[in-house]
Amino acid sequence: MTSEASTEGGLRLSKAVNLLLPVSLFLLLISFSGVSAQEVRSGWDLVDGGTVSDLHTAEAINGEIWAFGDGGIMLKSLDGGSTWIGNVIAEGYNWSHSDSGYNSILIATDDGVTIILENIGNGENDSNDNIPIFPGQFPINDVALTGSQEFVTVGENGEIWEFDGDEWINRSFGIVNDLLSVSFLDGEDVGLISGEEGIILATDDGGASWDYRDAPGELSTVDIVDIEYFSSIRAYAISEDGHILKSSREGSLAVGFVWSIVEIEREYPVGGSNEFVKGGTELDYDASSIKVLSQSKIMLAGPSGYLSLSKDGGNIVSRQMIPVSNNTSFNAFAMQDGFRGVAVGDGGVILRTENAGSEEFVGFEVADFNDFGQFVDYSKERLMDGLVATAKIVFFGILMGFSLGIILSMLKTSPTTLKNVAQTNRYQLLIMVVLVPLWAILKVPVSVFNIIGVIFGSKKRHHDIGSNNWVMVNPLDSTLISYREKAAQIAASEPLNILAIRAVGLVLISFGVYRILSNLDEISALNLDGWEHIYSPIGAPSAVFWIILGLAIAVLGGIFLSCNGDFSIRDLKVRKTEFSLNPWGIRPLNTIATAYTDIFRNTPLLVQFMFIHFGFELGRRMQDPGLMLFNFEYLQGNANFLTDIFVVYETNPESLGYGRPIGGILEDRAYISAIFALGLNSGAYQCETIRGAVAAIPSGQMEAGRSIGLNYMQSMRLVVMPQAIRICIPPLGNEMVNLVLNSSLAMIIGYAEITRQGKLIVATTFQVFWTWGMVLVSYFLITWTLALFLRYLEERTRIPGLGISGGA
Amino acid sequence: MSEIILSIKDMEKTYVGGVHAVKGISFEVTKGESLAIIGSSGSGKSTVLRCINRLIEPTKGIVQLKGERINTPASDINDVRSRIGMVFQSFELFAHLRVIDNVSLGLIHVRGIGKEEAESEARKVLERVDMLDRVDAYPGNLSGGQKQRVAIARALAMKPEVMLFDEPTSALDPELIGSVLETIQGLAEEGMTMVVVTHEISFARDVADRVLYMDQGLVAEEGPSSIIDKPKTERMKEFLSSIND
Ligand SMILES: Nc1ncnc2c1ncn2[C@@H]1O[C@H](COP(=O)(O)OP(=O)(O)OP(=O)(O)O)[C@@H](O)[C@H]1O
Ligand SMILES: [Mg+2]
Repeated sequence: MTSEASTEGGLRLSKAVNLLLPVSLFLLLISFSGVSAQEVRSGWDLVDGGTVSDLHTAEAINGEIWAFGDGGIMLKSLDGGSTWIGNVIAEGYNWSHSDSGYNSILIATDDGVTIILENIGNGENDSNDNIPIFPGQFPINDVALTGSQEFVTVGENGEIWEFDGDEWINRSFGIVNDLLSVSFLDGEDVGLISGEEGIILATDDGGASWDYRDAPGELSTVDIVDIEYFSSIRAYAISEDGHILKSSREGSLAVGFVWSIVEIEREYPVGGSNEFVKGGTELDYDASSIKVLSQSKIMLAGPSGYLSLSKDGGNIVSRQMIPVSNNTSFNAFAMQDGFRGVAVGDGGVILRTENAGSEEFVGFEVADFNDFGQFVDYSKERLMDGLVATAKIVFFGILMGFSLGIILSMLKTSPTTLKNVAQTNRYQLLIMVVLVPLWAILKVPVSVFNIIGVIFGSKKRHHDIGSNNWVMVNPLDSTLISYREKAAQIAASEPLNILAIRAVGLVLISFGVYRILSNLDEISALNLDGWEHIYSPIGAPSAVFWIILGLAIAVLGGIFLSCNGDFSIRDLKVRKTEFSLNPWGIRPLNTIATAYTDIFRNTPLLVQFMFIHFGFELGRRMQDPGLMLFNFEYLQGNANFLTDIFVVYETNPESLGYGRPIGGILEDRAYISAIFALGLNSGAYQCETIRGAVAAIPSGQMEAGRSIGLNYMQSMRLVVMPQAIRICIPPLGNEMVNLVLNSSLAMIIGYAEITRQGKLIVATTFQVFWTWGMVLVSYFLITWTLALFLRYLEERTRIPGLGISGGA
Repeated sequence: MSEIILSIKDMEKTYVGGVHAVKGISFEVTKGESLAIIGSSGSGKSTVLRCINRLIEPTKGIVQLKGERINTPASDINDVRSRIGMVFQSFELFAHLRVIDNVSLGLIHVRGIGKEEAESEARKVLERVDMLDRVDAYPGNLSGGQKQRVAIARALAMKPEVMLFDEPTSALDPELIGSVLETIQGLAEEGMTMVVVTHEISFARDVADRVLYMDQGLVAEEGPSSIIDKPKTERMKEFLSSIND
């Protein structure tokens, strides 16, 4: 890469790269905008009624739509159901039944309380103050208006009552079954009642007298839950087990005399699919409410999100796609005409339609995947999803891998030996174990504060010697210093306590030996022979772990026990060979880090993925406690951008996934596992890369740092690491690019990244060349952007006169 | 007699692998004194210096700074080092930091001085070594002599009680040596206590108050700088003539 003449500390970057970077990012962005061509859209829109109470019933009359529900809730819409005005009539009453007509709406509760709202749609302001509430007389299952002041109610045990505007008249006539539904033809005296055990009753005198009608014999044991007298020639009813009943006028016989069960030829599931359930006489779903839109057009509603439409009187029933959860129970419709209206249900759900709920098919014809344009149109969204998914695990993987790499490389190069460990006194222990971690935790907010200070306070951090009032010091600084002094004093005044070291050694030996002995049984219980023992770490992981740890602890204890205060090298003579032993020179941190990198660098990443996700179930083990910590109840109202990193919940109560995680690291187990597999693996490699760079820094740099009084960590942080990281940007870049490419392995644990999406696209389109070609292009764009960024970083951080870089 | 700053008693060093580099040497440096250590290559001069500020641990013996023993696990090693300035043969400037940051790094992170104060302090020291005009340069863009003067400034900035120079000019071109020696001479005249390992015999003669000749890990001859002109031992005579050739 070319670069322009260098200036000290300045930005040296060729114009071409400066341009390429934003251009490629821009291309990446625009390549994934645009709309999808083929989709099915629900014919129902969810509208906000402003309540979460269950809505049981609704009416459409005189251009207005009303909905009623629990807690006396009453909603009104003047614009066909788009916006709603809330109101409460008689709090505490649960309005469950209604009827409209004669410019009035009648509503009723299950216990028999009724109200008539008059003069609907005449523009007057509704005042609820002087609406007469008729107290509950007896349980009501349904109501029907027979005039602006008159109505009929039906209820349990055959109760039929008529209210004539002044008083209640009992019209029951000896039926013991519960009556469930009543319907009158507006403006006429004819009405129908349906009830348990296939009962259908009819009247032609406005409800004064009722006669039995013949319901189909098959239904003599089922409840007919809803009935609607639609016109002088047509009535429909629905039974609890999904039979649709139809009655037409036959010659001189009025509607209601002859009932037939509709033959359901086809029943289509949601989504406009071509596959249907071969009919019969019973719907596949339970319906609790029927609405007749025209002589042959009926709508059905029920629990479990059931809404359906039949345009031919029930022969072909299509279940409708709804924009809310399938748990929603729909209770009633209110249709202004054959197309426009609402369906209401539990939880305040109001759905509005302008086409009787029929799905809209955008680009209904099947896409032609042999046309590259249509193919791209179809697959880009999946690829985009995959790209985002890949970017997510790559981002966190790199973050984790790099942090791990730095930590491991520090451990590997750490000079701390057993001798140093033995010389540690109790104050140093306190500092290391308690104070420094606390200090480090406090350091984070302090640094953030100071960075903000730099941004807002003084712009030029390095050159300006202006005042900077924003600097905050870590409150633990002074404590730490005083304890360090104390530790030094103790160390100065107390000689090395050899006895204590030996005592610790003895404890360690016995602990180690105890651990070994108590775990040997488990190994022998595995019944392994000879070389089969190499698999014992899998057969009895914890036992092997404890045995190895026990061995290490016992050896450590042995070394401590042998302490005589001079930590010198031991010369051993075995037969004729001389050994020089330097047990005090063992570097425990290095040993731990080496074990880690050895394990991860000597096993294939693919197997690591599978072991971590399926074997160890890391995803599950992290997700369960994680979700317990950040649970839905707690995060409601407490969520912020930090908790969003971990988990985001669906908070829309109307949504299908209400209360379920829809984002954040904890959302998906495969996601967690993928991040860890990539991060843990990359950490092992990055560790070696960084260690190599650290090793390339002349030891004199460390000595120079130490000679001015910096401690080891300071020298590492301020002197060695800044130079080492600069050196290893190119190889680290390799690691990161590798990590991106390796992320494709996440597909085998079911994580939906690009490669997996590619597989899914192939499954639908059978276009292998195009699909995999596009997957390649997507990867190239990610890694190439990353590579450009790293090159930019390298240029940006290059130090004049350091290293041979080809440029100036 | 003035205060003893540095005192070394029976110091020995055996490297891992068995090289007995220093075989028991003792000397003292008083306040304001400059001691030159000369000796042939491999005689253990660097080892002695590095043992003093414990970049390596002496195997035996006592090192005292202002009467306080510093080669025990008990002494605060970082504090000790910050009180002893060290200048290396190969400069060892922090390559990623500008001159000013090289000098102020220790002030900020060891002395805990604020950044601005530390930088103004650093400028003062850089002025003493005549490097004020290059404060914003990176070490890679400096000449060897300039690098060594910055390295001296870096050590000096910590206000050390004694400065150790390990062959400060032997990595320099002959024409650059002068400016560095001048700087060190200036420090000596200002009364800085220092131990200088050097192959510049004329410098040892002119600047040092005392000269110590080391041979094979032992002090072979010791005395005022005048002993250079009339060495008593054969070894030193040989050494001096080999250098003058
Ligand atoms: N890290 C080390 N490990 C083992 N032996 C070493 C080490 N450093 C130095 N030595 C040996 O110790 C002896 C003294 O070395 P030292 O560097 O002190 O010599 P010197 O007097 O400074 O020489 P010069 O004038 O060449 O710098 C030499 O024999 C050298 O090989
Ligand atoms: Mg040397």
